[in-house]
Amino acid sequence: MPLDERDKVAHLLRRAGFAARPEEIEAGVARGLEATAHSLLNFETTPDNLDPEPPGLNQNYQQNNQAGPPRGFENFALGWWMNAMIKTTRPLQEKMVLFWHHLFATSTLGVIDPRQMYLQNQLFRGYFNPLLPSQRRTPEDTTSPFPVGNFRNILMWLSRDPAMGYWLDNYQNRRKDNEVGTNENYARELLELFSMGVEDVVAHVPNYTETDVRQLSRVLTGWSVLPVDVRNNYPPVEGQPNNFPRWFAFQPTYGRLQITHDFGPYTVLGVTFSSTGADTQGRRMFDIIVNHKNPGQQQSACGRFLGYRLFQFFGYDDPEPEVINALADVFDKGTPQFTIKNMLRAIFIPGSGIASEAFYSEKAFRAHIKSPTEYIIGTYRLLKPTGYTLNYELVTSNDGLTRLNSPVSLNLTLTFANQMGQLLWRPFDVSGWKEGLNWINTTFDLARFNWAKGFVSEFSVFQQSRNEPPVEQRVPGELTTEAVRTLLVANNAQTPERVVDFLARLLYQVPLSNAARTALINYLRAGTDGTPGTFPFNINNNVTIDNKVRGLLHLMMTSPEYQFS
Amino acid sequence: MSETKTTRREFIKKSGFTLLTVGLTERAFFRNLNLAANSALTKAAALSANDRMLVVIQLAGGNDSINTVIPIGGALEAAYRQARSTLAVPAAQILPIGQDAAGNQLGFHPNLPKLQALIQQRKAAVINAVGYPNQNRSHFRSMDIWHTAAPDRIETTGWLGGYLDVAYPSSANPLIAVYMGGTLPLGLKAETTPVPAISSLESYQLQFDTRFASSNPATPQLNGEYNNRVQTYLALNRELAPERTYWDILGRSALDAYNSAVRVQTGIKKYTADPNIVYPANNPLARGLAQVAQIIAAELDTKILYVTLGGFDTHQNQAPAQGGHPLLLQYLNDAVDVFYRDLQRLGKDDKVLIMTWSEFGRKVPQNGNAGTDHGASAAQFVFGTPVKGGIIGEYPSLTDLNPGNTYDTKFSIDFRQIYATILENWLETDSREVLGGRFEKLPFV
Repeated sequence: MPLDERDKVAHLLRRAGFAARPEEIEAGVARGLEATAHSLLNFETTPDNLDPEPPGLNQNYQQNNQAGPPRGFENFALGWWMNAMIKTTRPLQEKMVLFWHHLFATSTLGVIDPRQMYLQNQLFRGYFNPLLPSQRRTPEDTTSPFPVGNFRNILMWLSRDPAMGYWLDNYQNRRKDNEVGTNENYARELLELFSMGVEDVVAHVPNYTETDVRQLSRVLTGWSVLPVDVRNNYPPVEGQPNNFPRWFAFQPTYGRLQITHDFGPYTVLGVTFSSTGADTQGRRMFDIIVNHKNPGQQQSACGRFLGYRLFQFFGYDDPEPEVINALADVFDKGTPQFTIKNMLRAIFIPGSGIASEAFYSEKAFRAHIKSPTEYIIGTYRLLKPTGYTLNYELVTSNDGLTRLNSPVSLNLTLTFANQMGQLLWRPFDVSGWKEGLNWINTTFDLARFNWAKGFVSEFSVFQQSRNEPPVEQRVPGELTTEAVRTLLVANNAQTPERVVDFLARLLYQVPLSNAARTALINYLRAGTDGTPGTFPFNINNNVTIDNKVRGLLHLMMTSPEYQFS
Repeated sequence: MSETKTTRREFIKKSGFTLLTVGLTERAFFRNLNLAANSALTKAAALSANDRMLVVIQLAGGNDSINTVIPIGGALEAAYRQARSTLAVPAAQILPIGQDAAGNQLGFHPNLPKLQALIQQRKAAVINAVGYPNQNRSHFRSMDIWHTAAPDRIETTGWLGGYLDVAYPSSANPLIAVYMGGTLPLGLKAETTPVPAISSLESYQLQFDTRFASSNPATPQLNGEYNNRVQTYLALNRELAPERTYWDILGRSALDAYNSAVRVQTGIKKYTADPNIVYPANNPLARGLAQVAQIIAAELDTKILYVTLGGFDTHQNQAPAQGGHPLLLQYLNDAVDVFYRDLQRLGKDDKVLIMTWSEFGRKVPQNGNAGTDHGASAAQFVFGTPVKGGIIGEYPSLTDLNPGNTYDTKFSIDFRQIYATILENWLETDSREVLGGRFEKLPFV
């Protein structure tokens, strides 16, 4: 069955955003597929609707003799981000923030101060400049290459992000006996995880050597992170709290006559150059990376790597070499070069070549397994698009610690997201999360389905505090009985058949198979004693909503169909 | 690269795996894929098929092992008392445990009487001065080093995960290893086997909210509505759609989730409480080990069980009148004791080896806040019936310290020797493949 226009619009909305609501699909069909794709891509023409900054960003609270944000800030800031995804007027911008977090996976565990993670999140959105000693989100910074600009500059800005400087230790990378930088972690991951991979993703030949990694770590010596107000505390002391805010500083020397930057010459990926300071050499270094082609290859290693990662994220797993190469060509030869937005155009704008052909193919249609984040955010967007109500209060308790009281449902959602295998800002390691089928296993499934049950009825979670046995916490979910009833009435869904058909359209955007439809209708009709066909189904009665319709929503969210986007 | 040893990353690459850096292949998912099929290394290795279990206790934060295993007498004690003006344990309170290889008399902190008894019964071993070259003093990085057994490079899977990949490349058992806690530690991350992080056994179930269908909300599962939902869930996930990519895998996984949850919930009922075996409720480690005992009693073919006790980062006021480091040691003492007695009662004690680890020790001198700062080498412990008890290695010098004014003790035993010993002698697996090299074994099991 070739896809019709409506299928393609829904597909585009699901992939370039987080969900396809019925009215969004209608509007897209009315506008046309191409115009819808353009409006998603040119998100900067739509005003954003971000919440005000989270509290606690600009104050240091003393905790355990360390200055830090109020307790609970990380959860709250994550709630802020999840809210942005749920409510956004710019779905593709938010989807790209998530993409960059997947690709440049950073963890609070290494960064220590979650406020620095929040600023990295703004960086990925295009709202933070690591060269400015600011602790704040800036209004859209037109100089920022994020989230869809020039990838060479994206690498440059990333390399100056204080969170990344801490996460991969480059703040400790100093010159050592004219040979190597003292810490090659960042240099290694820059090549291996952030730009090209160990091997060319099409030709499967090595992209670089160990020598390249060591040479690159020399280039990056002295790319440091300093406290905004303490310029004489260098090098940073291991084990010291990561006082906020910190910012990027190129430190060629420290103290008297102690040279910390290695001025070269270095040879990286076959090109020899010397340093004349962070900015020029940085540009030079990233130029070399984005231009690197393996012998006999028509496309750059970096273009192929990004083509693969972008299509894997937006399209389907393991894209064909032709698709990767087409996207790499856009990266290499587009105007201007290295522009992420051009690659996204090649995927989303119908008729723009092989990548968009693949994107709008039957192979891609409903074949992407939702990440935990996509599962949660998509559910909110479909069933409760207003998002979280983030009412907060700062509370100072008897122990003298200031806490940020955030909504219980938010904390529970993060608990479940963690059990589903993706707690944002806490990737397992530098390589980020494995996607696709790796989101699916028995443990993750239980968490997914139990979260779904909580969302549509009541969360149940066993919370463990330090000195207490686990206690079950039961917290109402996100849907009131009245809201569910109003939704059904507004869509003329009064009978079991109509309720099932409407909710399938809402949740799946594709018709149910006959077998699944029959099973769900039979469920709605089954008596609570288990006798088939005896339940008095009437949506005016609360017990019908609270028992059967909530149960139906939960079951529909556990079916294979709902795991796909 | 002068190094010739095969790291796990390279090994997995050779086995036809697509690395994470370029995403992953569908193949990577299939549990029935024999990861090591192409590997000569594995063909040569005898794969483990024993019924032995390993229980790992992580002491997170950097345990002050100088106040855990304490020198008695001689120059060592003099140096200890000089460096620890207020934190030193009075000599009369120290519990003697014998002497090390160099003849130094050692004792336990007074809050470790049960562990002293285990040493006396030869059911516990103290391994002195464990560390690695160029000690990293960041919690985060040093934990990762211990987790991955890779001091000089970043790895994305852990040593226990590597063991699962090598020994159980095609395990269909979702509970082959279990972490009792919220977030899976890197040590248990495998290439092919997802290890569940179970915060409580109660939560390892598929929940259906049937309050509204029952006249008695306390017993929702007794009514037919619960069954209605289970049957519908199974029907939806049993439906095959061979034309849809991944569909059947997702359905099968959902069925497995339900079945394995039922297995766990049924299995843990095998465990019956005993009035003589009481896990103290206010002891977080004991609570974790109580759940471990339930899993062991359930006989779910679990090989590795892992719990964490946090709080060892004792920079200030390390030994207050109540709480602090002494309380943590009491937790360890009481929890290991009750758990070991429980294993004996269950008839499983000869199948279980218990190990502790902490990412580093503390500096020798106490700091200005009556606490201790991040150090280097530290003593680690193993417990259990299979253990050849005693004291292994020498207590580190408290005066001849690491260079660079770090004020911390040198290491004499590489932590990977402990891993190699457990992998080879206990789990009967080729440790080279997991650790990327050969490490001399220690005589504790």
